[in-house]
Amino acid sequence: MSTSDAPDDHAHAAPAGGRIARLGAAALGAARATAELWRVYVGTIAGIVRMLRGRRGRIVSRSAGRGELWRQLHAIGNRSVVFVAVTLGFIGMVMTYQACLQLGRVTGDYSQIGSQFLRLTVSDFGPTLTGLMLATRVGAGIAAEIGSMKVTEQIDALRMSGVLPIDHLIVPRFLASLVMTLMLSTLGAAIMYAAGGLTAQASFGVNPHTFFDLSLLRGRHVAMFVVKAAVFGAAIPVVAGFCGLRARGSSEGVGRATTAAVIGGSFAVIVLDFAISATALFVTGGDL
Amino acid sequence: MSAAATPPPGAYVEWRGVHTAFGGPPVLRGLDLAVARGEVMFIIGASGAGKSVTIKHLVGLLPIDAGEIWFAGARIDQLPERAFAPLRKRIGMVFQSATLFDSMTLAENVALPLRKHGGLGHRAALEDARGRLAQVGMAEHADRYPAELSDGMRKRAAIARTLALSPEVVLFDEPTTGLDPISARRIDRLVRELAERLGVTAIVVSHDLPSIFGVADRVAFLYQGVAHAVATPAALRASPDPVVQQFVTGRSSGPMETPGF
Repeated sequence: MSTSDAPDDHAHAAPAGGRIARLGAAALGAARATAELWRVYVGTIAGIVRMLRGRRGRIVSRSAGRGELWRQLHAIGNRSVVFVAVTLGFIGMVMTYQACLQLGRVTGDYSQIGSQFLRLTVSDFGPTLTGLMLATRVGAGIAAEIGSMKVTEQIDALRMSGVLPIDHLIVPRFLASLVMTLMLSTLGAAIMYAAGGLTAQASFGVNPHTFFDLSLLRGRHVAMFVVKAAVFGAAIPVVAGFCGLRARGSSEGVGRATTAAVIGGSFAVIVLDFAISATALFVTGGDL
Repeated sequence: MSAAATPPPGAYVEWRGVHTAFGGPPVLRGLDLAVARGEVMFIIGASGAGKSVTIKHLVGLLPIDAGEIWFAGARIDQLPERAFAPLRKRIGMVFQSATLFDSMTLAENVALPLRKHGGLGHRAALEDARGRLAQVGMAEHADRYPAELSDGMRKRAAIARTLALSPEVVLFDEPTTGLDPISARRIDRLVRELAERLGVTAIVVSHDLPSIFGVADRVAFLYQGVAHAVATPAALRASPDPVVQQFVTGRSSGPMETPGF
């Protein structure tokens, strides 16, 4: 391969070696990123524990904290209300319309549409679609804010001031996201269901008493709703914060971090949704 | 640089054979540099020479690839992040941009290290912070947010925040960049006063020639990843080294290779 009389072999060997090196570097990079994401998650949990124990809680609950937590509750929750409500409302309308359309073609029996739609909304669509919406709106905001702080050395300044960046930046967002994802998922699911019921009545004449039938809703559906909303609410700020903390360079780096946060957050919601649903199916023996 | 380049006895801060690459071309290739207690050391060099990287290594903001860093007789380059916290109480840093936190007032910005490092309560820290801001002529702006102030005012507030903990060593990363000449000379005077009145060791990264030749005890010229020359300002100015001469006189043509330009 190294002989000078085999130029073609040499020419082919170099790109092959380069490809292997690139693959290796990509694998190493992915492994490092996963380890770093895990460290951010563990650091966030440790930060919450520290806050609850009160060692650093005094700080968190004051300047960085009480105000910061309220600010984040407002930024993540209040500012997402219209976005989540409108999006899930329209999705509820479209889904019910399509379901009624198909049912009309096959059986024409709409008696189960409302109760089945409620089960799906509570155990899956409500928290998952809300999670996806928040992964874009909230994830992008968190990554852009923390990424900007990273490239302007504000994160370094925090470290120099004796503040753990995860405690100061990610813990308040994590707590706010946890609370607000639960609340917004509840609101989104309710609007989705209501919008579906109104569409079914207006377009197919389905009786609201038939549609708004809660009899098939079980505790396990509500449990799935709470678990999914909580897990998505926890995942979104951790993924976004991780992306923001990895921002490099200048505005271009912040842009890349923001894009990565939206993709990573959405991907995390989908994968976690699958994992939780699969686990629930396994635990309940398929009786969901 | 003969006798002038000899590090002072009992170096307080020391970089020994430091290498840094960040996964690309090496930035530092075996940097050796020693700073004595109470000394004002300027680190100069072309953009991308590794000046800011050098001082960030000292406070653990960037890890080194190889070599050793010593502070006050202890090796610190291998310390974990948590162990750097007490060290950052003793070594303060003024960043190139003011790096004040936008969501806090100036008083809250200055109070933050007082609470976290100094263990003061919220109210006591805020009160102390107002006093610190008054020392840099910013008392009337204590309740304003950074976005409402000019670059020079933000820089002064950032200096007040760094000095709030009375550090033994202060690292200045281009403190006069972007400032008007009067503000720049005031910062120079502050650096000199810190060293002379309080015995603070100042390590200053700068391109500002009036600052370098007016304030420094010694100057380290970083070139190609090492301290190419370490000398007093006068010795550096008189150096026959063509690379040093090109930098000191600011000539665009000469033997000096500048990364990326």
